[in-house]
Amino acid sequence: MLSEKVRGEIRGVLRNYKNLRSACMAALQIIQREAGHITEADMSDVASLLGVNPVQVEEVGAFYTMYNVRKPVGRHHIQVCTNLSCSLLGAGHIVNFIERLLKIKTGGTTQDKRFTLSTVECLGSCATAPMMQVDEDYYENLTEERINEILDGLK
Amino acid sequence: MNGEKFVTLKVNGKEVTVKEGTLILDAAREAGYEIPTFCYQENLSGVGSCRICFVEIEGQKKLQPSCITPVMADMNVRTDSAQVIAARGAMLEFVLTNHALDCPVCDKGGECELQNMVWKFGPRKGRFTEKKIRFHEKDYILSPVIVKNSNRCVHCMRCVRVCSEVVGKAVLGVIGREAHQEMTSFVRSYLDCDHDGMCIEVCPVGCFMRLPYRYKARHWDLKSAKTVCPYCATGCRMTIQERDGVVVRSIARLGSGFNGRMMCARGRFGYDFLNSKERLKTPLLKVGGVFKEVSWDKALGVIREKFTRADPKKVFGVASARLTNEELYLFQKLVRSVFNSPNLDSTSRWNENASAAFISAAGIPGRGTGIYGAMEADCVFIAGAQISDENPVTDYIVRYTTAAKRNSVIIASSRAMKLDSSSRMSIRHLPGRLGSLLNATALSLYMDYPERLEGTPGIDGIKGKTVEGLGQVSGVEVSDIKSLAGVLRGSASVSILAGVDFLRFREGILGLRLLGAILKTLGKQLEILPLLDRSNQRGAWDMGVHPLFGPGYGEVKEKGLGVDGMLERANEGASDAFYIIGEDILSMYPDRAFAARALSRAGFLVYQDMFMTETAQISDLVLPGASFAEKAGTFTNQEGRVQAAEPLLSPKGEAKTDLEIISAIGSSIAPGFTGADPQRVFEEIRGGLKTYEGIFPGLNDSNGVMVKGSGNTLKEFEEVKEAVSDLGKNTSYPYYLITGNHLFHSGRLSRRSEILRGLLMEPVIEISSILADELGVEDGSRVMVNGRESGAVFSVRVKKGTPKEVVFIPENFEKAPANRFFKRGETVARVNITVHSSF
Ligand code: SF4
Ligand code: SF4
Ligand code: SF4
Ligand code: FES
Ligand code: FES
Repeated sequence: MLSEKVRGEIRGVLRNYKNLRSACMAALQIIQREAGHITEADMSDVASLLGVNPVQVEEVGAFYTMYNVRKPVGRHHIQVCTNLSCSLLGAGHIVNFIERLLKIKTGGTTQDKRFTLSTVECLGSCATAPMMQVDEDYYENLTEERINEILDGLK
Repeated sequence: MNGEKFVTLKVNGKEVTVKEGTLILDAAREAGYEIPTFCYQENLSGVGSCRICFVEIEGQKKLQPSCITPVMADMNVRTDSAQVIAARGAMLEFVLTNHALDCPVCDKGGECELQNMVWKFGPRKGRFTEKKIRFHEKDYILSPVIVKNSNRCVHCMRCVRVCSEVVGKAVLGVIGREAHQEMTSFVRSYLDCDHDGMCIEVCPVGCFMRLPYRYKARHWDLKSAKTVCPYCATGCRMTIQERDGVVVRSIARLGSGFNGRMMCARGRFGYDFLNSKERLKTPLLKVGGVFKEVSWDKALGVIREKFTRADPKKVFGVASARLTNEELYLFQKLVRSVFNSPNLDSTSRWNENASAAFISAAGIPGRGTGIYGAMEADCVFIAGAQISDENPVTDYIVRYTTAAKRNSVIIASSRAMKLDSSSRMSIRHLPGRLGSLLNATALSLYMDYPERLEGTPGIDGIKGKTVEGLGQVSGVEVSDIKSLAGVLRGSASVSILAGVDFLRFREGILGLRLLGAILKTLGKQLEILPLLDRSNQRGAWDMGVHPLFGPGYGEVKEKGLGVDGMLERANEGASDAFYIIGEDILSMYPDRAFAARALSRAGFLVYQDMFMTETAQISDLVLPGASFAEKAGTFTNQEGRVQAAEPLLSPKGEAKTDLEIISAIGSSIAPGFTGADPQRVFEEIRGGLKTYEGIFPGLNDSNGVMVKGSGNTLKEFEEVKEAVSDLGKNTSYPYYLITGNHLFHSGRLSRRSEILRGLLMEPVIEISSILADELGVEDGSRVMVNGRESGAVFSVRVKKGTPKEVVFIPENFEKAPANRFFKRGETVARVNITVHSSF
């Protein structure tokens, strides 16, 4: 069940769309911001708010890799870019470093549910490679020290 | 149509001229060249995703997908160049990279588009060595009729498109992307959908499959026959197939009928009643209250004795509108010229004066009206029809043919329906008050053009009234009436789709006639297409199975009684002999108690059908008839499309076709009566009825043949006393009950299909979402429905968009017959509803 808060926020953005079906992305984003991931029940709820069939919400959720559909993540979601520019500038090393640091494999979540680590394709920040996104923020020109600092600052 | 431009191009060197905007694919087909396709599907939006249909166009470096590329003048297209052939093979190789290739265990094997294509166009060898993507291990079940294997998918998306663009359900989606995408339901869950199997029919490979046909046969094991669906007057062309005497599937094929691949759940899955063990196999005579098997000779002897001794005025005949034209024709001949009785009818649900007036108002005695032509009108006005449930494929055709225009469809009904979402405007009027809405619309048009419309027949009847007043009676806002009138005024062509609610509620017919006359006077190009529920209802009328007119809508020497009158007479004890074929009056007549009483006093009652129906049980003699699958003959659908059918099986046991039985009864009383040769009977029809003159529908005629004008109009039946439903305030019974056919059922025949029964077990009541909220119930909750004299428990189905006061119970459920709630003469029953607790 969506919380009243999330429901209210979604209702708030519906106004911006002439065709309610178009509000699907925004609605999913609101849910994910709040809960970190999107459940089946969430998709059904969004469908009834939008007046569409649940499968049409699932289509959107499943198409965009940035939605964590049915994939619970930790409090913070680390997404390291491993596309071309970042890889040339050591993304592979960055991933290994974080895996060792957090004692998890890519795709995994720390036991305290604090972090989930994923790799993603180009985030359009090649000029500042290597880079990662944690939750909704970009962190660029990464080094081991920077990473230590950044992750320490996230509780 | 006017103003259309044509272009000429060359395909493989051959010149063709086609309409501007035609796809290269269609132009090539017209020129006689076949181009293979996967994702392309007639009637669906183009996606151009599979690239099998590549062609080479002179002057363009890259090959182009012919299924989404329109022609241009002077194009020079090649469909068979070396480059094209190589590209086809390459695209197929791609498709095969992730295809399961488990043909030996796939139900589609032998009739699979992928198999056929690879066989024809190569590649003989794949070069990909990567591991194939697997979506799941075992096939999964998606509905009582659908089983799914995604590992065979070629990603054509036909299933997803057909479900939303044609069926209008949109319950299938594309989950994931690229090679990982899977076309399935929400989280692969069990579907609560229309179960029409359109997704199965369009799937080129073995992904969507029929559950009831699973592992039953290869297509070359099957014997097929072309026939017509027995479940509604859309009259879908279908091919039924049997193996070892058991019918295992019914399919709709591209190119074999006007409906292409379209069928609804009833047509596609309702075939299995044919195999039922309960089919009647011998004549049964009631002796001392119990049925005894008797020979045909004995049965015919009894009939001869009873019917020749009867007073002709007290002989009644009813033949179901499911029989073939030949049978119906012979039936009326039997009743009129052998029994010498004028009393015959084809349905027990509708009053004969109303049906005659409706037939006249809808112009049925005139020529046929093709649905595709009707859809080209600027405005398609659907009134008095529960089209999405009663004529599902008509609903599909309306949806997909008008989608591009968006704005042409207007619906007037008292119940919400699936088609609402494809309409520009859906008007909800009170049950039984369609007439006031039509009159209000007519009046609004009259006020715009008083001079031009002066003298239009029927106009005087509405002159003293006001749009506001009529609007109020019908429960429709004046603004809606004005917009409807506005759209009609602004349209150069109008098609009215008029359904059987005109007959069910016995009203609105005069309004329909008036509106039609007005539109004609205003110079609109007007088509009226009747939407009928029983498969051969139009045929029955054409053949003159009606007490007020004869074959071809000709005059009869003496007007007779319809079922209403017959039952009334029977009830008074003024009935000597009653011959009923296939019409289960007891379960269909809109006052069950009265029908039961009347039939028990009906004199000698002969009932002929495939099953021991409720009416059969109270009869004196039961004759085993045959199904559509056991007959040769013709059917005329609601459009006036005459289609031929061939038999697949022979009648069960000693059962006979209805034609044989009618003919045998005729000859036993009047030697020399017409024989049971359908072809000969059809010749007689062709010779006697203007409508059928020169009509030769062949089995391979994919469009059937349209009837012609009969020259008669039935104008003498125009005036009809319309019913006024009682919608007065009644706090004990606040809801208006209406009835009709359920999406999965047609009368009671479909209830003999195990597969259709499996789609929905319990009797349902459809209520509005407002009422559901008020009662605190949801889909599947139980409610108690009480009428003045009877009550029953129903499972709830919630429908958004239906007014709160309106509830709907399908006429099909024997456990809770809808006609129990009705009293003779009452067209809207009143009920109350309470939450049912099983404790
Ligand atoms: S059966 Fe019909 S409604 Fe159901 S998923 Fe298939 S196409 Fe859609
Ligand atoms: S399931 Fe069948 S119809 Fe649907 S995309 Fe796959 S192959 Fe095409
Ligand atoms: S019931 Fe009507 S719409 Fe459905 S398949 Fe049969 S003829 Fe077609
Ligand atoms: S490659 Fe990493 S941001 Fe573009
Ligand atoms: S059939 Fe043309 S691209 Fe698929």
